[in-house]
Amino acid sequence: MIERFRSIVANAALAGAAALFCQNAGAQAQPGVKLQAPYYGDTLFHFYQDKHFESITGLMVSQHLNRVAQHADEAEVLRGGLMLSYGLHSEAGKIFAQLIERGTAPAVRDRAWFFLAKIRYQRGLINEAQAALDRVGDQLTPSLQEDRGLLQSNLMLARGEYAAAVTLLTAMTTPAEAGVSGRSASSAASAPYARFNLGVALVKSGDVPRGSALLDELGRAPAADDEAWSLRDKANVALGFAALQDGQPQAARPALERVRLNGLHSNKALLGFGWAAAALKQPQLALVPWAELGARELDDAAVLEARIAVPYAYAELGAYGQSLERYLDAITTFDREGRRLDESIAAVRAGKLVDGLLERHRGENIGWLWNLGTLPQMPHAGHLAPVLAGHPFQEAFKNLRDLQFLGNNLSDWNDKVGVYGDMLLTRQEAYASRLPATLARSREITLGPLQAQRDRLATELQQAQADANGRAFANDHQRDLAERVQRLQQALAAGVVLPDAAASKERVRLAAGALTWQLAQDHSARAWEATKGLGLIDTGLAEAKRREAALVQAQRDEPAKFAAFAQRLAALGGRLRGLQPQVAALAQEQRIEVEQIAVAALESQKTRLAEYTMQARFAVAQLYDRAQVAAVKPATGASDAGPTQEHGNAPPQKP
Amino acid sequence: MTPALTSFVRHLAGLLLGASIVALAVAQPVVQAPAAAVSSAAALDTRVQDTKADVIRLNRDLLVLEEELLFPASTQLVVFLSMDVGKLFSLDSVQLKVGDTVVATYLYTPLEVAALHRGGVQRLYLGNLRPGEHQIVAFFTGKGPHDRDYKRGTTIKIDKGVDPRYVELQIKDLQAKLQPEFEVKVWQ
Repeated sequence: MIERFRSIVANAALAGAAALFCQNAGAQAQPGVKLQAPYYGDTLFHFYQDKHFESITGLMVSQHLNRVAQHADEAEVLRGGLMLSYGLHSEAGKIFAQLIERGTAPAVRDRAWFFLAKIRYQRGLINEAQAALDRVGDQLTPSLQEDRGLLQSNLMLARGEYAAAVTLLTAMTTPAEAGVSGRSASSAASAPYARFNLGVALVKSGDVPRGSALLDELGRAPAADDEAWSLRDKANVALGFAALQDGQPQAARPALERVRLNGLHSNKALLGFGWAAAALKQPQLALVPWAELGARELDDAAVLEARIAVPYAYAELGAYGQSLERYLDAITTFDREGRRLDESIAAVRAGKLVDGLLERHRGENIGWLWNLGTLPQMPHAGHLAPVLAGHPFQEAFKNLRDLQFLGNNLSDWNDKVGVYGDMLLTRQEAYASRLPATLARSREITLGPLQAQRDRLATELQQAQADANGRAFANDHQRDLAERVQRLQQALAAGVVLPDAAASKERVRLAAGALTWQLAQDHSARAWEATKGLGLIDTGLAEAKRREAALVQAQRDEPAKFAAFAQRLAALGGRLRGLQPQVAALAQEQRIEVEQIAVAALESQKTRLAEYTMQARFAVAQLYDRAQVAAVKPATGASDAGPTQEHGNAPPQKP
Repeated sequence: MTPALTSFVRHLAGLLLGASIVALAVAQPVVQAPAAAVSSAAALDTRVQDTKADVIRLNRDLLVLEEELLFPASTQLVVFLSMDVGKLFSLDSVQLKVGDTVVATYLYTPLEVAALHRGGVQRLYLGNLRPGEHQIVAFFTGKGPHDRDYKRGTTIKIDKGVDPRYVELQIKDLQAKLQPEFEVKVWQ
């Protein structure tokens, strides 16, 4: 039961067009394509993990901050696909329409038209979808080109244009004609679906022999995986019922016999198999599939049907006692099932279904790709399997889950916004408290005198370089020596009598010469060092000026920045607080909607059950009538020749 | 075949063929609901759509504000990690150091590694850095060729100015040496 339920849900999820759009939207970002903006890669990183919320919000931040301009069109296609994954069809439609309007590259434009067509088709806007599909050029990738063909055929089938669908699907499934039609033949992956659609279209268009032949071929094809088996079963069921419809029960049997006993279509096949036997006047053969079907879960109309088809077959065989017994069993079972359905409806109304499902999917990301793997804990949960697999329920529950996720998201942001507000206040206070001390220190360091001093030094350096004698660069020792030499020279010039005057004079001359030589030798290196030092002074002064200017600027800007941040925080906080009750109210409405869908489906099951109960009671009444007639006839001398035309064993009627 | 049975089979066959087409044609409404209920559900769906769009836009604006508040452009440093092919190295974890401080350590799940293989780029670190010269060191741990434990480091010096600085750590396959290669790219 659970396995079957999972199969149904998996198929429903796979059919989700949004998932397909997203897969295709991201398909172009495979390795090998040069990534020109790391933030686009970051979006893909989340996208490839199915973290669609992080992906879309991150992408929108990057777009807002102009970080993915190199991938502008691709980013928009991806954003449109992601919007679609949240069920935001209108928003996605606008994005694709804008992409088309702004004259993007033909390949992107074609993809946008194609996705737009799919969105419209999904919304049931057949003509609008066709209009969008007509605008698609020849720039789609091969896989999308196939999807385009399938979408076109679906549109034709939806409009009842079976002959046109046959022509298109024939071209798609016949490689030789691919060049003529301008479309490539379907790939191995999509060809079986195209051929199945072709078979159905042929049957619908009245060409039953060709349609049946094609479906028969599909129904005999080897299947490698579950998807292929499912399609094969579907083809066999369609083929079998087409044969029954065509009054050929003998032809229906082999097709229905090929359907797996535990697949999605097994119930329908068993029912049809039984009807084929009944139509061939072989009620004993009909009993086998119907008995098997009747023992299954009662959540399927085919099983309910089997519960009254079995006694019908017994009656056809003349086993009226067994027939009556089975009819009465069926009535008891239907009554019990009816009470269980009432309990299920009460449980749904008490919120057990929604609470149970939400509990099982707590903390998951939002979007299409989710899986209702197990049924919630509640009475007779089996009734809900077909309800949960239905598209309306899935759509509604997805909305509810998304709203809950977004409610939690807003709640987290509410906390954060409060923290950021406090942080901003702390920063403002810290700024206000530090500013006076900083300004005081700034006033202590006046740059004017330092600049004047630097200018003086530059002038001196210039002069020293012009003199080129190295005296300006002399160190303390050298200056001391120079003074001593100068004093001695002055003394000699003043006529001071020194012992050994000639030798002393010569020694002073030599000392002066040696000092001059030494200074001249050191001049270049010292001049370079001094120039370098002046450069450092300039750098330091420039940095000091920059900081001084920054300080002045900060005094002007920081209060404005704080004010701007505070204003933005207040505005966003306002939007946040406005959205929180809105999301909560919508979640409540959506919850009611989900429960109503489930209740309506269960009520529908109840109605169906009541109709089958009525049929069973009617059959029981007929059997009693027959028994009464049989009891009267021996008294009047008539023999029991089985059911009469007037009181014949009427087959169950499809409600 | 009795007339009643024929009628039933025709009805059921029509239903099944219709259902087959519908199953292939994506998500057609199956259950017919009263017009008022459909209209009400559509109105609710429209309001839900609008609200979802509002919340997503609000998230964008809040994220922008958060980034500008916590990581101003003048001090912002972002380190990304990407993988090109990556057949010669199976990534387990990364440790990132800025100067002597470990700023990020990340353990990868198979899903994240698969996302990197498909062309995704992970934002490994978002933080603040003073202007000036800094050294960034990354250590990659995982399985190298022949399924051997593998740990490699790579270093880069960056000059942080007043604009945001984006650094990408790239894991590549060096086919010539049959060894993984770890490169650093600084985005301008």
